[in-house]
This record gives sequence, C-alpha cells and structure tokens, in this order.
Amino acid sequence: MDFDLFLLFAQQGLASGVVVGSVYALLALAIVMIFKTSEVPNFAQGEVFMASGYLALFLLVFQGAAVWFTIPFTLVASFIAAALFRRGVLTQVAKASGSPVNLVIATLGLSYILKGLVRRTGFGDTPRSFPSLVPTDSIMIGQASVTKLDIAIFLTAVSVMALVFWMFAYTRTGRAMRAVGMNPKAAQLMGVNLEKIHMLIWGLSGVVSAIAALLISPKILMTAEMGAIVTMAFAAAIVGGFTSLPGAVVGGFIIGIVENFVGLFISSRAIAVAPFAAIMLVLIVRPQGLFGGKFAIKKV
Amino acid sequence: MTMSRRTITAGALALAATATLPALAQEPGLSATSIKIGMFAPLSGANMAYGFDVANAAKMYYDKINKEGGIHGRKIEVVLEDDRCNANDLVAAVKKLVEQDQVFLLNGGSCSAAVVAAKEYVVRSKVPMIMLNASGDGALYPPTDYIFGAFSISQYAVGGAMVDFAAKNLGAKKIAYVNHDDAYGAWNLEASKVDAEQLKVDLAIESVSPTITDVTAPFLKLRAANPDVLVIVTYARPAALLIKKAFEMGFTKPIVLSVTGTASLSQLAENVGGKDALKNFYIQDVLADLPGGPKIKWVYDMYKASYPELAAKPDHPQTYMPYGIPSAMAIVKALQEAGPQPTRDKVLAAMKKTNFDSGVMAGPVVFTETDRAANKSTIFIKYDGTNKTLVPGVFTSRWKYKG
Repeated sequence: MDFDLFLLFAQQGLASGVVVGSVYALLALAIVMIFKTSEVPNFAQGEVFMASGYLALFLLVFQGAAVWFTIPFTLVASFIAAALFRRGVLTQVAKASGSPVNLVIATLGLSYILKGLVRRTGFGDTPRSFPSLVPTDSIMIGQASVTKLDIAIFLTAVSVMALVFWMFAYTRTGRAMRAVGMNPKAAQLMGVNLEKIHMLIWGLSGVVSAIAALLISPKILMTAEMGAIVTMAFAAAIVGGFTSLPGAVVGGFIIGIVENFVGLFISSRAIAVAPFAAIMLVLIVRPQGLFGGKFAIKKV
Repeated sequence: MTMSRRTITAGALALAATATLPALAQEPGLSATSIKIGMFAPLSGANMAYGFDVANAAKMYYDKINKEGGIHGRKIEVVLEDDRCNANDLVAAVKKLVEQDQVFLLNGGSCSAAVVAAKEYVVRSKVPMIMLNASGDGALYPPTDYIFGAFSISQYAVGGAMVDFAAKNLGAKKIAYVNHDDAYGAWNLEASKVDAEQLKVDLAIESVSPTITDVTAPFLKLRAANPDVLVIVTYARPAALLIKKAFEMGFTKPIVLSVTGTASLSQLAENVGGKDALKNFYIQDVLADLPGGPKIKWVYDMYKASYPELAAKPDHPQTYMPYGIPSAMAIVKALQEAGPQPTRDKVLAAMKKTNFDSGVMAGPVVFTETDRAANKSTIFIKYDGTNKTLVPGVFTSRWKYKG
C-alpha cells in the first residue's frame, strides 16, 4: 500500500468511524444508563431501537405523516413504551423473584415480542430505506468523502449526548438518577421515588434509542434484524467500562473507528470480529474498562 | 370341479391386485387416487420474497396437472409448511412432513443455507427431496441419491457466470468482486476464480458479512483497485448498501448484481437512493426471458388466473415466482416416468435421467448419475430503476465439480 492510499484510508476510516461510532455511542449510553441504575443489561435495547425506527417509517412513509409530527410522536411513544415496560413487567418480575437473572430474561422476552410484532406488520419482510431528512450529497473533508447526512448524524448524536450529560450533572432528576445508581436504599431514604426514577431512566433510554434509529436508519436499511447493531453498543459499553456514561461514549467512537480501520487495513472479513477483539484487548489490559472505576464491593 | 372363465379372470385380477398392494402399502403418501407431496418454503418472515410465490407457482402447476387428470390417474395432494428460511424451522418442517404427514416425496427449500441443514435427515430417511428454488450447493455436491436442486441455478454457476458476463460483455480486465464471507460466498467465489483464470481477468475480492451495516471499508478498497466493473454477489441488503455507497462516492463504472440480490427490484431502486444510482447497472437473472416477457408470459398468466387476489397486490407476483415451475415439472415428469405403480426408488431413478427444457429458465433442466444441479445458465438485464432491457446471450460458468 503506497503512502497516498494509506492517507486516504486513514482519513476515510476516521471520518466513517466517527459517524457510525456516534450512533454506537448513543446506544451504549442507553444501555449503560439502565445498567447503572438497575444492574440489568437490557438485551431488548436493539429491538427498542428497531421498533422505534419502524414506527417512524410507518408514520412517515406508509401514513404520509409530516416530519414535525413523526419525530416527536416516535420519541414520546418510545419513552412511554419503555417506561411502561419497566413499570408493568420488570417491577412485577422483581417483586416475584429477587433474582436479576429473571429481569434479564424479561428483557430478552421483550426483544422477541418487538421483533415478532414488527414481522407481523409485514413491513419487516424486505430491507427498506428510511427517508433521509437531510440531503445525502457528498462533501470532502480532507480526502474523506462524507455526506451531509453523516455530518447531521454526528452533530445530532453529540448534541443528544451533551444533553444527557447536562441532565445527569445539573438537574435534580439527573442527580436523583445518579443517586439511585450509587445506592438505591440511601436514595430512597432521602426521599427519591425509586419506581419513578426507574421509569424515567427506561423512558429516557427508549428516547435515546429512538434517536439513534432515526439517525442511522437512512444509512443501514431497515429489517426486523437491524437491532443486531446493539452488539456494537454492548462492545462499546464494555470497552468504556460498563458503568461509565463517558466511557460508553468513548467506547462507541473507538468501536466505530476500529471497525473501519480493521476493514480498510486488515480485511473486510475481520470487520465483524473487530469489536470483540477490542473487548478482549481491553479486558486483558484493563478489566474494568477504560473508564470503569476500580473493583469494589458494593455496600447496601 | 371346473372353473368358469369369469371366475378365473376375477381370480387373476384379485391376485394381480394383491401383488401390487405390498408395493403401494410400503410407499408412504401413495394411494390409489393420490400422491402426497410435502412442500416447504418461507411463507412468512424477512425472507418470504425468496419462496412464498415460488411455492405458489409449483402449487398452481400441480393444480394444472390435477385438472388434466393427474399422474396415471392419481391427483397430487400438497401439504405445505412454512420454513421461514431458517435451518431449525426447515428441518422441523421436513421431519413433520415425512413422519407425521407421511409424504411420498419432498419438494421444498428456497434458501440454500437452510435447506442444506436437512441433508443428513433426508439421506438417512431415504426420502426423495427435490428443492424448490434453493441453490443448495452444499446438499448437491458431493451428489447423493436423494437430493436434487439448483432449479434456479447453482451458486457455483452464479459466481462463474457473473465473471463470464463482465469479461465478455463489458470487456472487463479487472473486476471488483464482492461476495459473502460464508459457505454461499465461497461457492460463488470458487467458480468465479475458475472463470477469471480462463478469461484472463484479475479479481479484486472483498468478502463481507451478510449482516454488514457499514460498507465504506470494502467499497473504498475495491475502488482503490481501479476496476473496470463492480460485481456484487450478495443478498439484497448488502448489495443495496454497496450500490448506494458507490453512488455517493461518484463511482460510474458498470455495476453487476447477481440474481441472489434481486428479490425486489422496486425496493432496490428505492433503497439505493433512486434511479441515478442505477445509470450503469445490470442484473443477473435465470429466466428464459425478461420477467413477464413473451417466452414466459404463460407463467404470469397462470399466476393471475390461479391467485387473482394475490396478483392484485403490489409486489406480486414476487420476482422469483417462475422458479417454482421447473421444479414441479421435473417431479411430474419423474412420476410419469415411474409408471402406474411408482416407488420412491423408481422416481429417484427417473430423476437422474431428467433432461428437458422447461421453457421458463435460461437453460435446460439436466440431471445425470453424477450431477444433481439442474440449471447452470443465466441471462443479464440492463435495469435503470424502471425499464429492463435484455442483454443478448446466455452466460454460464466453466467450473466443473471434480469430486
């Protein structure tokens, strides 16, 4: 490979990696948000992402709804559905059995239900394109070719992440969420309504997933299996440290860039393996993840 | 004591009938008036475009045969199961059809990877399995006595014919080639390499996962190879992503898409971002004519008459619908050849001598003692997002199974 080609690949890999990585970061954020507060890895996160995308597709393409209606409706519906799942299913499962395994199984159940529902509609029977809300013509950044849609994806994702961090850092609700994540019993003693906070976090996680779906769907084509992209988000969360929100974001960008670099400089066949190689490397060198704190016994 | 002629005749008939009874009794799915055929195809799910209407086409052909009096007086009775193009579902459907429904033979499978999963069970059960439109190369090579397929085309032939077309018709000396990084893609590539070597063409190869979501890396590497043609031998979704990416990055060389990625052309045009992305675009097909063209119009007319409600729906008949006809034709011919007292062995023997022109596919349906892949010929169509123009000629692979 000559130097010019190396430079081209490096620039393009970085640009494409940052764009796709920003979506992985959003999904990783949604996963970590839930894990931090309830210690449940939400295995339905990919399907929440997928179902939100299909809801928007249904409204926008099949019902001819306006964008100004479709986007807020999708976000609100995702919030309500995720919050209700927390209240209606997980709370009951937790009451019935204290085992976290049952909660995990419940999230797996949700993933199958959502996938089944989308298949039942018939819209998932062929790969479909989600109309891009931003022009898709290319512009050059250095030698890298990116579309205006790519730039919009990156900027929106970064804005959403900033908003989430601001909420966690500076709002009363955000502080309550962090308190629940640190010590739920103490938070409850201080007057925090645990159930309400859990519902809010699940709802917020649903909204973030829906935003990720609205951003990336025009690029990846929609199928009922598109939720598999969440594997990358889990990889990002693990690389970043499963309990760290900034770690999830950094992990998302790392996975996106690594995926592209591996495809460009090693082999397209290795793209699928790249995130797992990154996980293994991080677990060997720094088992708690890049931003995870030191291992400690949690006091209750 | 003397016997009358009538008594002797009656006795002889009874003896003859008794003699045939054990044969019929031993053959599951066979009665004096019917032959039970077990069909399976993806009738629901993400891959139903690969087989739903293919199964409908085979069924309508059986209905036609039944209306014409059946086969040696027996009507064909179809038991249809949904395999969802999933290996587990497909094997479960096959077991149900063989053990519970006691079918005489199997006619099913639209997805290669899934249908190959049934190979071991079918061979062990010694049930004839004649695939619908699956290539199923993994179950055809090495050949067994019980499995016949590739009525649409073998995956080896798909890959080889793509190179044959790109070199002969588009004058390519260097081909950017994308396939799947699975067994399917390996079959495509093996034959493509044979044709490339014989035609003295260079291949720049990128093998991608069927579930790939970001095709930037493989496309960029292919473009860097400065190819004359981009050949895509993948399913519809990766193909659409690659064509879209090629358009976004200003790639103007010809793009050729294999038949495996053409399940819904209208959806493809939408998924790649519009007609501008298809300005220099060719698709591979395995029919004898353009879909709906004069040579195969009768298939489309029969579909409309058989399924008026389905035909009125958008996207029906599905692209691969006619592929169900040659498979059903081969079964009918083998059953006819097996005579009035058919057995599975007689049908299998007849299948191995199959050689006929279905009038539907680009090439003849040919099986031999050593070859279980029916069709190896393809045509190519220039497609601009709306119009289809047939490219003259039939293209095939030089690849041969060496055992």
